[in-house]
Amino acid sequence: MPRTPKHRRLATVLAVATACAALGFPAVASAAPADQSAGPKTLTIATNGSVDSLSPFLAQRLLPTHIHRLIYDFLTNYDPKDDHAVPALATSWSTSPDKLVWTFTIRDGMKWSDGKPVTAEDIAWTYNLIMTSPDAATGNGNFVVNFKSVAAPDPKTLVITLSKPQATMLALDIPVVPKHVWESHAADIGKFHNDTQFPIVSNGPFILSGYAKGQYIELTANPNYWRGKPKFDKVIYRYYKDSDAMVEALKKGEAHFVSPLTPAQYNALGDRPEITRNKAQGKRFYALAANPGATTKSGQAFGDGSPALRDSQFRRALMYAIDSKTLVAKTLGGYGEPGAGYLPPIWANNHWKPDAAEAYTHNPDKAGEMLDALGYRKGADGMRTTPDGQPLTLRLFGQTQRVDDTQNASYISEWLKGVGVGVTVSMMDQGKLADVETAGNYDLAFDSWSTNPDPDFVLSLQTCAGRPDTPGASFLGDTFVCDATYDELYAQQITEYDQAKRSDLVKRMQQQLYRGAYVNVLYYANVLEAYRSDVIGSMQKQPQPNGMYYPQDGYWAWWSATPATAAPKKSGNTGAIVAGVATAAIIGAAGVLFATRRRRAGADDRE
Amino acid sequence: MTAVTTAASTRRIAWTRRRRSLARFCREYAKSRAGMFGLCVLVLAGGAAVAAPLFISAHELSAVYAPGSPLRPPSARFPLGTDGYGRSMVAVTVWGARISLTVGFLATFMSIGIGTLVGITAAHFRGWADTVLMRVTDWFLVLPTLVLAAALASVLPRGVTTVVVAIGVTCWATTARLVRSQTLTVESRPYIERATALGAGHWHVMTRHVLPNVMPLVLAQTTLIVSEAILLEATLAFLGLSDPTKVSWGTTLQLARQVGAVSAGDWWVLLPPGLAIAAVALAFSLCGRTMESVLNPRLRERA
Repeated sequence: MPRTPKHRRLATVLAVATACAALGFPAVASAAPADQSAGPKTLTIATNGSVDSLSPFLAQRLLPTHIHRLIYDFLTNYDPKDDHAVPALATSWSTSPDKLVWTFTIRDGMKWSDGKPVTAEDIAWTYNLIMTSPDAATGNGNFVVNFKSVAAPDPKTLVITLSKPQATMLALDIPVVPKHVWESHAADIGKFHNDTQFPIVSNGPFILSGYAKGQYIELTANPNYWRGKPKFDKVIYRYYKDSDAMVEALKKGEAHFVSPLTPAQYNALGDRPEITRNKAQGKRFYALAANPGATTKSGQAFGDGSPALRDSQFRRALMYAIDSKTLVAKTLGGYGEPGAGYLPPIWANNHWKPDAAEAYTHNPDKAGEMLDALGYRKGADGMRTTPDGQPLTLRLFGQTQRVDDTQNASYISEWLKGVGVGVTVSMMDQGKLADVETAGNYDLAFDSWSTNPDPDFVLSLQTCAGRPDTPGASFLGDTFVCDATYDELYAQQITEYDQAKRSDLVKRMQQQLYRGAYVNVLYYANVLEAYRSDVIGSMQKQPQPNGMYYPQDGYWAWWSATPATAAPKKSGNTGAIVAGVATAAIIGAAGVLFATRRRRAGADDRE
Repeated sequence: MTAVTTAASTRRIAWTRRRRSLARFCREYAKSRAGMFGLCVLVLAGGAAVAAPLFISAHELSAVYAPGSPLRPPSARFPLGTDGYGRSMVAVTVWGARISLTVGFLATFMSIGIGTLVGITAAHFRGWADTVLMRVTDWFLVLPTLVLAAALASVLPRGVTTVVVAIGVTCWATTARLVRSQTLTVESRPYIERATALGAGHWHVMTRHVLPNVMPLVLAQTTLIVSEAILLEATLAFLGLSDPTKVSWGTTLQLARQVGAVSAGDWWVLLPPGLAIAAVALAFSLCGRTMESVLNPRLRERA
C-alpha cells in the first residue's frame, strides 16, 4: 500500500475527535430498570473479577472465594454485627485442657442440594484431603498446617487434633464439599475446576446454577437453607469491562450493585434518588514499605536495596517527611482515614493507634534534623549525600494498575525531595513489580493487603519465617521484615485462646512494626459502594454500622437482601453542560470532516 | 578560470536554484487555506509548549503545592477546572504539549530515519538486499502497529524513551515503501547512469543524487507520521504503558479515566487533552497533505 493511507489517517483523527467527545458524556439516555414485579426476583451485581478456578481447593482470587462463601457452608461463620465467630456447620465447640483437641458438634438436618445429608464425615474428608494432597492445599492449605488429625467418630461430631495450640480454630475459612460428589475427583484434584456440571452440588444459601467465563455467574436461592431461604430468587454477577461501564449499568438499572467506586464516581452518584450509596470502613491497609535489606530465612543477604534504609532511624526520619492526612484528603478525596497501625480500624478489637509522642506526625524540620544527626548532610543544591559522600537517591516503585500509586508517588517524591532525599519513581505492571520485589531490588514500594477478621495471616507475613527460602525465590509476603521481638509476640498470640489477651499481644506486635518503620501504613481507604434502592429494599452490612456489602466475610448481604416494594423510578438525565459540550464537539468534528473532505475531493479530482 | 571558482559558482547556482524553489514552494503552500490553518495551529501549539516554563511555575504543576482542590469544575480562577491533583487544567494541558510533541517528533525522526535508510538501500542495491529488506518491511506493514508498540512498551522499562523507541521502530514501514519506489524512479533517470559512468560510488549516488530527490517526499511523510506518532503516544499512555508520573496529554486522559472522571461526568479533565490531541494531529495531517500536493508533480495543478 504505497500511497493510500490518507483516508485511514483522516479516519483516525476523526475517530479521536469523536471518541474524546464520547468520553465526556457516556450516558446520553437512561433506561428504566428491568421490571421486577413479574417473574423471578433477580439481583444483578456488576463485576470484573477474574475467576482462577471454581474449585474451592484451588481458588485464590477474590471473586471465586467470595462465591464459595455463598454456595458452601463453613464450619463457623462471622457475625454480621461485629465479626465474632458464630455457629454455621458447627453448632457448638469445646477444647481440651491442653488446648490441643477441638471437638465440634455438627448441626442436625442439613442437606446437600442433591438431597443427601450433610455430616461430619464430609468435613473430615475435605480437611483430610487438604492435609494429604499438596494440590488440594493450593487455596486453603495454610489453615491445616498445624493439624495432626481430623476425625468424624459419628455424623454429628468432628474432632480435630493439633500439634500445637492454634488460636485461629474458629476462623477456618475452608469451604466444605460433599464427599459423595468429590470422591471421584480426589485423584485429579489439581486439575478439576468444578465447572463441568451445573448446578454445582452444595449446601450454602445459594446454588451455583450457571457460569460463562467473562460473561456471568448465576446463583439460585437454596430453598432448603437452614438459616432461611434468600429473598431474591437469583443473584447474577454480570461482567463489565471497567468501573465506568459498571456505573453506567447501575444508572440504567442493568446492574443493581456496584463496588468499589472511585471518589469521583461516588460523589457524582449522590444526586440520584434511585441510588443508595454506602461509605464503608475498608479492610485494606495501604502502606509504603521500606526495604530493610532483603534476606532469606537463613539470613543470607541479597538484592540491591539502599544501605541507608537498613537503619531504622533513617526509615523513621522519612516517615516524618510524609503527610498521610494530605494523601487522604487529595488522593482519596477524603474517603479514608490516615494510617498508623497495621490492622485497619474496622477491626475495633485489634486496631492499634500510636500515642501523640510516638506518632510520625508530619514534621519536615524534625525529619531534616534526624537526617543531619545520622550524617546525611545537605549539599549546595539542597540534596543530601550519604556519610561517605555519595549522592542519596531512593527508588520508589508502584503499580500502574493501582491509581493511588501514581498519585501518591508524586506527593511522596516531592515531600522527600523537600527534606533533601532524592527519589526516582517507577510505575510498572503488577507482575513486573512483584519480580522486582522478590529480587529485593527496591528501596521504597507501595504495598496493600486486605485483612481478615482473624489477623493471624497478615501478621505472619512480617515474621522472619515469612521471608523467602532462597535469594529471589517467591514468597508469601513482599517485605523482608525480621524482628526478634515481633516474632516472639507472634508465637505467643497464636497459642493464646483468651480473646482479650490475644488482642493485647496483637496490638504490641503492631507497635513493634510501627517503631521499626518497616511497613508504614499511610491510610485505610473507605470502600465506596452504590446500589439501586428501587430494586433492593435493604441489606445487612458487615460489620455494623460502618461496614460494607461487598466483599464480606460471610454471605450476609445477598442472603438478607429484600426486594424493594416501591415501583421502579425513571432515572434522571445528564447535566445540560455535558450535553452542550457534546454538541459542540460533534459540530467541531463534523466541521473538520467537511473541511478535509472538500480538500480531499479537490486533490482526488486533480489526480 | 580555475577549478576552485568553477566549483564556487556551481555551488552558487545550486543555492540560487534551491532558494528559488523554496520561494516557489512557500508561494504554492500559502495558496492552500487548509495548509495555512494547520501551520497556524502548529505554530501556536509549538510556541505554547516551548514558552510554557515562562508562564507556568513548578509550583503550579506540583502535586503537593497544587493551587486548587482536586477535580473542581471550571471557575474564574481555573478556566478549565482542576485535575486529580488540584492543578489547573490549563497549565496541565499546555505542559502536556511538551511531552506529546517531543515524543511525536523524536519518534517520527526515528521512524523516518529507519524508513529512508531501508527504502534507499533496498532500491539502490536491488537483488537479494531488496528482497530481504522488503519482506521485513512487509512484515511490519501487516502487523498492527498498536499491538506491536504495546508489546514493546510493556517489555522495555517504563518511560518516555521507551515510548519513542516503541513508536519509532514500528511506524517506518510505509516510509520505506514510499522511499523505495521514489528511489527506483530517480535511479532510472539518465544522469544517475552518467554519474556512475564518471565513477561515482554507491555512497555518492545515494547521498548526493538520490537523497536530495526523495527529501521532499520524506518531508511530507514526516508531517503525516508526526500526527500518527502523537496519537500513538497518547494511546500508549492511555493504556498505562508510558510513565504516568510525567504530564502528557495521554497520561492526563489515563489519570482521568482511572479516577472515574468519565462516569462521574467530569468532562473538564477529559476534553482539553482530548481536543488538543485531535487538533494537533489534524493540523499535522493538513500540513502534510498540503506539502505533499505542492511537492509531488503528479498532484500539482497544471496551471
